[in-house]
Amino acid sequence: MAQSNAKPDAAQTSAGQEFVITRSFDAPRELVFKAFTEPERMKQWWGPKGFTVIASKMDLRPGGFYHYGMRAPDGSTMWGKMVYREIVRPERIVLVNSFSDEAGNITRHPMSPNWPLQMLSTFLFAEHDGGTILTIKWSPLDADETERATFGSGHESMRKGWGGTLDQLAAYLAKARPD
Amino acid sequence: MPADRLSTTFAALADPTRRAILARLALGESSVTELAKPFEMSLPAVSKHLKVLERAGLIARGREAQWRPCRIEPGALKVVDDWLERYRRCWDERLDRLDQYLRAVQTKVRRRGRRT
Repeated sequence: MAQSNAKPDAAQTSAGQEFVITRSFDAPRELVFKAFTEPERMKQWWGPKGFTVIASKMDLRPGGFYHYGMRAPDGSTMWGKMVYREIVRPERIVLVNSFSDEAGNITRHPMSPNWPLQMLSTFLFAEHDGGTILTIKWSPLDADETERATFGSGHESMRKGWGGTLDQLAAYLAKARPD
Repeated sequence: MPADRLSTTFAALADPTRRAILARLALGESSVTELAKPFEMSLPAVSKHLKVLERAGLIARGREAQWRPCRIEPGALKVVDDWLERYRRCWDERLDRLDQYLRAVQTKVRRRGRRT
């Protein structure tokens, strides 16, 4: 049987890519894909420990969405929404996820107004050695309107997201001090 | 809804030229002319990039009439770094739970198989 799960590799970035995380699972690809695409399965692992799913509605098709509510141990509720863009069974899911409210509107992070409004997320499922390698890429979607106006519609790099050595740069610069 | 701070910052960082400018400014402040040198780019084009970086709070520009030195604002990137860290951790925990779930499901299936 395949080896025990190596812990990430965590956040690797490669030039020109969005922020990336990879993980391997000792499970067939179809099962991992199902874990992401069946609401009864999502309930089992998506929310943090101690959270109860209080509502869950999934319409799995491009343009459809998954809307869910979770109750935290302290009684507060959090809603999330994933709007699907692409679904290619069993290898790829592209969606936009964001915080939501009970009515299904897109909202900001309840506790952090500076959290990006929407995240474009890509999930890739690859077979490997009897198991599955999951690759998750994401980037914030809500680019500044002025930004787009400044550079015109041809400026693709903004829409694709940010990437490459970003977190290395961020970490380095966060420690750098202008002297 | 207006863009949030973090998204504006990410948009500013989405461009390799701007990231390169920031990397250069991490070494010390500089003039626009100096910054433009490594790129085959006109000064107005570089200035556009600087404006984006400035609006995102990633750089600050001095007010001296002739020479407006650019300097980096490392605090802005710390916000990005902190956010990356939190998001990464959030996903780490979630994927741990996914791993447990997948194992549990398969164990159940195997047990059922043995009983029949």
